[in-house]
Amino acid sequence: MPNSKVVIVRVPNPPKRPGDYDPKTIDRMYGLGLRLLTGQAAPAEAIRSVFSPSDRVGIKVNAIAAPELSTGPRVSLPFARLLSAAGIPPRNIIVWDRTNRELADAGYKLNLESSAFQVYGTDTAGAGYAGEPTQHRGIASLFSAILTDRLTASVSLAVLKDHGMAGITAGMKNYFGAIHNPNKYHDDHCDPYVAELSDSPPVRSRHRLTILDALLIQYHRGPSFNPRWAEPAGTLVFSLDPVAADAVGWRMIAKLRAAKGLPTLEEDGRPPLYIETAEKLGLGHSRESDIQVVEETVG
Amino acid sequence: MNRRRFLRTGAAAGIAASSGLGAGLRNLYAFGGQAPNLAHVEARYYKKLPDREVECELCPRKCRLGDKERGYCGVRQNDGGTYYSLVYGKACSINVDPIEKKPFFHLLPGTSAFSFATAGCNVNCKFCQNWEISQVRPEQVRHVDLPPEAAVAAAEENRCRSIAYTYSEPTVFYEYMFDTAVLARRSRIKSAVVSGGHINPEPLAALTKVVDAIKIDLKSFDPAFYKTYVHGSLEPVLEAIKLISKSPVWLEVVYLVIPELNDDPSEVRKMAGWLAREAGPDVPLHFTRFYPQYLMKNLPPTPVSTLESLRRTALAEGLRFVYLGNIPGHEGENTYCPKCRKTLIRRNGFEIVENAISKGACPICQSPIPGRWS
Repeated sequence: MPNSKVVIVRVPNPPKRPGDYDPKTIDRMYGLGLRLLTGQAAPAEAIRSVFSPSDRVGIKVNAIAAPELSTGPRVSLPFARLLSAAGIPPRNIIVWDRTNRELADAGYKLNLESSAFQVYGTDTAGAGYAGEPTQHRGIASLFSAILTDRLTASVSLAVLKDHGMAGITAGMKNYFGAIHNPNKYHDDHCDPYVAELSDSPPVRSRHRLTILDALLIQYHRGPSFNPRWAEPAGTLVFSLDPVAADAVGWRMIAKLRAAKGLPTLEEDGRPPLYIETAEKLGLGHSRESDIQVVEETVG
Repeated sequence: MNRRRFLRTGAAAGIAASSGLGAGLRNLYAFGGQAPNLAHVEARYYKKLPDREVECELCPRKCRLGDKERGYCGVRQNDGGTYYSLVYGKACSINVDPIEKKPFFHLLPGTSAFSFATAGCNVNCKFCQNWEISQVRPEQVRHVDLPPEAAVAAAEENRCRSIAYTYSEPTVFYEYMFDTAVLARRSRIKSAVVSGGHINPEPLAALTKVVDAIKIDLKSFDPAFYKTYVHGSLEPVLEAIKLISKSPVWLEVVYLVIPELNDDPSEVRKMAGWLAREAGPDVPLHFTRFYPQYLMKNLPPTPVSTLESLRRTALAEGLRFVYLGNIPGHEGENTYCPKCRKTLIRRNGFEIVENAISKGACPICQSPIPGRWS
């Protein structure tokens, strides 16, 4: 009996660019994915099975490779609307990343007004980083005050990409954008740092849901956008298990690399070992036999 | 307010303080969403690779980076296949310091050093005392525009005999340091580098042609210590010391003694012996006292008796100038003639109480005292 579930939702004939998606298509992908993930009949019920109305929910996007390869508003705001429709007040929903500039480059309109979803970066006046580093295993970082002071629940809405150092970057590595010094954790293929960051109290106590934005997959020469090796995959991946989500993401990239005649990440000397490390830390499951993968296509 | 007054009346200290140094990043990393004023000057010592990748050749880490990625130092970035320094001319900490604070004890004693730093470091010492500027990205601290010519002019206006590249790790602002040193030399101002020595031979060799003194922080003589507590490697640091000692640059070495971690007498004996053989017995070695900092607040300050014992050990290994630091007023701060034991320079903290060195020699026995005295 598998221990974790990962839901893969695809669209047929996906547009070449994430920005070209019909918003209704994204809505349908979320609805289907969340229902299949939670077993609930409706998206709002699915949301309520993961979050409570009193939660302050952060949607951690990845805007670093904006504009082409980032979780832009067309992907994140539909999910924010689902949270709102399920009873979480818009003022308690924050779409965030490291900097306002990166968010703006990804197409976001920054917002600090409480009447709508909050959208801002850690460099916003009044946010910033903690004054003292949090030490956890090999990690010693200042965490974004957005995560530590303003959120009770976190969603990692990450772009699925090949990564020259980590092997892949997906849901867990997305939290590198929640600390002030991610550049210190790229040694040894980011292992064990990605796993240890996910295991750190500020992240582990808040993380509830991983959504991988695989509308356009950079399967080689990531993490920046490189059109030669970017595949319009039209896919969103959902899991409550951050390790399982990344493990499935790795397999998706591996499949694309094989189809394109590229060496495996192992052959390339950069398998994402942090996934296995995360499993050892008890963050979830990485083995195929422990993961139930549900795949559906929206009509 | 002119620049000298700016520096002397505390505005510069304000920059240093607001750069971190006790303030944390919460209120500093708040530019209201404006793009930070970062430099974009092409780096030296890197190679371009296919598909817009680069490999940094400045330090032993050899960071290989895709487009838009930064090196371990956090201050050098690949943009479209070209590698850039983001901190050229962007000083986040500026002060006029006694040269003894670096510490340099055999370089222009009693003079002031115009001292500055940018954000960033290529190691991550768990005991760093300036981590709030060294372990952050440039957009996370306030900085001012201080291009090389302005730094030299400020040094002149503040009657500084030297410029010190210090506080964080000058290797990561190599281009800025190098160009400032070239200009400073034209103005007869010496350049003093305060570094961990984690730098590749080629850029270091080039640097020794434009600077006058380098102080290396040798953090341990144990490779495992470097891996665990420094996130770096010992071997490149030893190679750097050897390279500097063969150059015309004046070299001093600091060894921060941390209780239980790098205070083993046998290890220190090996280190001192190696230093005497490879760099020569005239290289000043400073044992400095550790105080709880950064990620090592659980350790006590170094017992003074430990430092005294290690000093005796190093002297016994043949080093002729072994000092103790962070113990103001201790006799281990003074410079003694190695031949007749006359007290040549009496110090109290960073203050020179007495300097009896005359024309670079002991006034009693006329033994030459190595250093850059004028």
